[in-house]
Amino acid sequence: MASNPPPSMHHERPPLYRDVTVVKWVVQVIALLMVLGTLWFLAGQAGDNLRASNVPTDYDFLSVNPGIDLSSGIDTDPDTGGRALWVGMVNTLRMAAAGIVVATLFGLLVGLSRLSNNWLLRKLGSVYVESLRNVPLLVQILFYGAVFASLDRVTKDVGPINGWFHISNKGLSMPRVHIADGFYQWVVVLIIGLVFANLMRKRRNAQQDATGAETYPLLSAFGVVVFFAIVGWFIHPIFGFIGNIFDGAASAISALPENVLQLLIAGGSLGAAAYWIRGFLNSRRTPAGLARLTDDDYFRMIFAAAGGLLGALFFLVLWPGLSSWFINSGSDFFEVLGNKFGGGRSGRPVDVALPEIVQSGKFPNYGPSGLNFSIGFAAVFFGVVFYTAAFIAEIVRGGILAVPKGQTEAAAALGLRRSTALRRVIIPQAARVMLPPLGNQYLNLTKNTSLAIAVGYSDIVQVGQTVYNQTGKTLPVVSIWMFFYLSCSLSISVIVNFFNVRMRIVER
Amino acid sequence: MSKLSDINVEAGIADAGPPQQGGSLSVGQWLRTNLFSNWFNSILTLLGVFAALLMLRGVLNFTFSENREWDAVRTNLRALMTLSYPESQYVRVWVAVGFLMALAGMSAGVWENWGGVSVKRMSTWLMGSGGFFALCVLLREPSVIIDSEGKVLRTVEGTLQRESFWAAMTDRLGWWIAVVVLIAMGAAIWAWCSEPDRRNNSVAVTTVVFSGLGLLVLSLWLVPYGHYAFADGTYIAVPGRTVAFSTKMPWTVMWLLLFGLYFVGRSFRDTQWQGIVRGSSNLLWLISPMALFWVVLRDPALDYAHVLSTDLPMGLAFGVLGGVLLWVLTRADAGEAGRLTAVGLLGFAAFNWVAAFFGLYPMLQKARISFLLVALAALVAPNFIGEVAKRRQLIVGWLSAMALVHYMATMMNTPSTVELQSSEFLGGLGLTLFVAVIVVLLSFPLGVLLALGRTSKFPIFRMLSTSYIEIIRGVPLISVLIFFSVMVPLFLPDGMELAELAAVLTGYTLFSAAYLAENVRGGLQSVTKGQYEAADAIGLTAVQRTGFIVLPQGLRVSIPQLVGQVIATFKETSLLAIIGLFDFLRVANSVIPAQSEFMGVKREGILLVAMIYFFFNFTISKYSQRLELRVGLGER
Repeated sequence: MASNPPPSMHHERPPLYRDVTVVKWVVQVIALLMVLGTLWFLAGQAGDNLRASNVPTDYDFLSVNPGIDLSSGIDTDPDTGGRALWVGMVNTLRMAAAGIVVATLFGLLVGLSRLSNNWLLRKLGSVYVESLRNVPLLVQILFYGAVFASLDRVTKDVGPINGWFHISNKGLSMPRVHIADGFYQWVVVLIIGLVFANLMRKRRNAQQDATGAETYPLLSAFGVVVFFAIVGWFIHPIFGFIGNIFDGAASAISALPENVLQLLIAGGSLGAAAYWIRGFLNSRRTPAGLARLTDDDYFRMIFAAAGGLLGALFFLVLWPGLSSWFINSGSDFFEVLGNKFGGGRSGRPVDVALPEIVQSGKFPNYGPSGLNFSIGFAAVFFGVVFYTAAFIAEIVRGGILAVPKGQTEAAAALGLRRSTALRRVIIPQAARVMLPPLGNQYLNLTKNTSLAIAVGYSDIVQVGQTVYNQTGKTLPVVSIWMFFYLSCSLSISVIVNFFNVRMRIVER
Repeated sequence: MSKLSDINVEAGIADAGPPQQGGSLSVGQWLRTNLFSNWFNSILTLLGVFAALLMLRGVLNFTFSENREWDAVRTNLRALMTLSYPESQYVRVWVAVGFLMALAGMSAGVWENWGGVSVKRMSTWLMGSGGFFALCVLLREPSVIIDSEGKVLRTVEGTLQRESFWAAMTDRLGWWIAVVVLIAMGAAIWAWCSEPDRRNNSVAVTTVVFSGLGLLVLSLWLVPYGHYAFADGTYIAVPGRTVAFSTKMPWTVMWLLLFGLYFVGRSFRDTQWQGIVRGSSNLLWLISPMALFWVVLRDPALDYAHVLSTDLPMGLAFGVLGGVLLWVLTRADAGEAGRLTAVGLLGFAAFNWVAAFFGLYPMLQKARISFLLVALAALVAPNFIGEVAKRRQLIVGWLSAMALVHYMATMMNTPSTVELQSSEFLGGLGLTLFVAVIVVLLSFPLGVLLALGRTSKFPIFRMLSTSYIEIIRGVPLISVLIFFSVMVPLFLPDGMELAELAAVLTGYTLFSAAYLAENVRGGLQSVTKGQYEAADAIGLTAVQRTGFIVLPQGLRVSIPQLVGQVIATFKETSLLAIIGLFDFLRVANSVIPAQSEFMGVKREGILLVAMIYFFFNFTISKYSQRLELRVGLGER
């Protein structure tokens, strides 16, 4: 090292193919071009092949009657392809939401039983977890499906349903709680109640902090909500005037000129890019002025600016109809909301209907008055719930074990009761460890509902497959799947991240 | 809340074994501390016992019900394993299984000291299983009464008539004898080892496993399990001959191979050959799935004229010319020119693929792959500059890689001689295992590359890998598989074809790689900054730093997640059944219920499939826990 010449002011520039910055960017740009070129080539190839086989890739099927019947959903005989896919999406979301709630509760129980003092419960929990998570979900779903399919058939003489639940090889039928006349007006009362409840909780909390006396903030807030719910049950018709407000909003929106909104959207795109660049430059600012920017930093800023510009161009040139779409759907939305209120709606907010058996076609089947689960739904539901619960149980166990023993001891030293220590010390810390993997499991559950295709439950994948078998539009349907699942994943990760940030330990 | 207040935070840790030392507590004390410590616990215990007995009774009644047609599974065992692999060539399946058995025995012998099971523990196992059997025999409801004509007796109301409880118990005399034998054996061992000097005696795990497997194989010779086998759409073998009849000889050979090669492997341990044997067994594990599938099972019909005129000369040319090039490139004075040559070769290799896609000039696929390999070898060549021995290492590696690649490519290109019954010559469990192994093997390098891309300092690479990983992880596997099985033919240029299996393998590999990349990324992030700085300080290049410093440490940390990913991949091979490949779930779910003899019999087959999946996954996960201990994760 001593033989090295002292550093001189004039650096000898290395040859071009040895210059780190040059090589770095040349390699990256070549890689990007290759990826884009491959995609472009494949897309062109697919387009050619599709044209050759007379299957153009357009989305016309969304507004054409596909002529398919769905096995279950909000509309079993959809009149357009778009409607059919929408029914599939609702079915998927329904399954995912129900599955997430039940799997979390069940997984929590199993996870806690694996930590219990009781030897037998611990062993039962282990057996459950080990056997469920080592068998593929599809095998479980098919098994449940086969078991349900071998149940007794529905016959007319079994009901008008003798009681509240009925199970057969057509599925499961149970009483349905459904939204009735005055529901939305009642919800308005509830929202007002929630506001008051929140105020009450804050006041009680402040009282407790000041005096140290137990004021039961959550309990009293809950009481306020219940009070408003009961009162609202009777007085909700007085909120019928809200419908007029929504109607006004609808007409105000439809009066908006289209060009203004279009320019606003484009401007918003540019503004977002500019805002991001400003924030980025601010983050690079030091007390001694702007730090030296690397080529990486320049890349990010150029990339953001190009993105903003492209977005603006896209909304202005390629998709000028966006603003009229916004205006139409916005005014539609408020019109629909407006229709939910009004003078005639003075009945009960919520109603219950008991299940029944009707002779609809050749065979007796469950009538629409009950809440019916087809065997497809039941198989997928039990499949994803039991399977995911096994993983959630492990997460719960791991989370609670991850809380250092010192925390329990410190809580005991403060004189907290064991239940209070759990509620205030252990669970909050365990939740912080548990939340990210839990979010992952929720994502997996949502994606796993796509296995419904194996037992014929009409989720988005199954409906999509039926639609493209009818119309031949495979690529559009697949693109809708991808879009739908990506938005689901994104929403779930946004929600989980929100809680994650809230629970994070505040550090310096 | 009272439920929560019973959580014992330490209990989870002690879960692995009996929580309290059984030896120091009497039975009553043990019950009191573990099951009846307070009134709440006692209620839970009673409820738990009730629920467990109810579930066990349900499972037993379901499994041994007179409505179960286990014949459907027994008859179709061969279909479940290999679907319609022809009888005349079936010996190839046994050769493949035998090779894997031998390899497994060898690796088990040379790699690990499997330790022992304490004799006391074995006696508890024996007595415990005896008690469990007794419970099962008691819980199962009495069988139905069948009259002399084989008809099930019913009462006037139509319900089934069952024999009395005592009659059922006397019918199950054989089971009672088994219970008594098990408990007696356990008790005898317990009594034997209760003397102080035998308390810590133990038996090697391998002895237990080998004798267990041996007993199973022996039972094939003694008990005529099962019936005749069903394959190729017909019954093979005459009725009356059993599955055991046609498989007892092969399984005995398999057992002998496993047993024998274990001792061969063990004799190499701690000798000078250990390293070589370990290395070659690892290499064989990598190569054998492909070789067994494409060469042994597929039985290609080689056209020797073509082999002599084209394949052999081409392989030789690439081997020799590439070897010479590498020899030149590893000279000490290669310098900058060597690297430029390598980059030029890489460009040429990439251009070959582009040209192929546009149909510019014809070239055998093998040649394109070989050009790419030459370029990659030229890129790593500077690492081998130095003494002759080191350069020779590279050349030998190159020649063997070329031999292997050209041999496999020739074999894969040659048509199979196996008479096809469906689109694939292999189905059932064989196909499932093949897909799982290939996907794991192929997605590993891709996943590592993606993880490196996502953690790299190059913004465009980072952006590309991140968006790829996130998009793939956001969509369900089934949509990716459907996309590939339906859409791939549309994406290919005219004249190019891809079999359904290949398309599905591609899609599955791309999917699995994204998940694997996330697991590897976790490991890479655990490598501290100091390691990078140290690598830079001793003058390693970026590639060397990644290959010799970062990846080995990062991958070691991510072993548990990687094993989890292997299990997930294996479980998700079940989705092949949905997109139309005949894996063994599809055989159980669609093929068997369609046979006229077993119309609609699904549950039995699916249960068997579930048990096989469980066996594999449970074994892998238990082994991975052992592996974690061995590499000392979380200890160093």
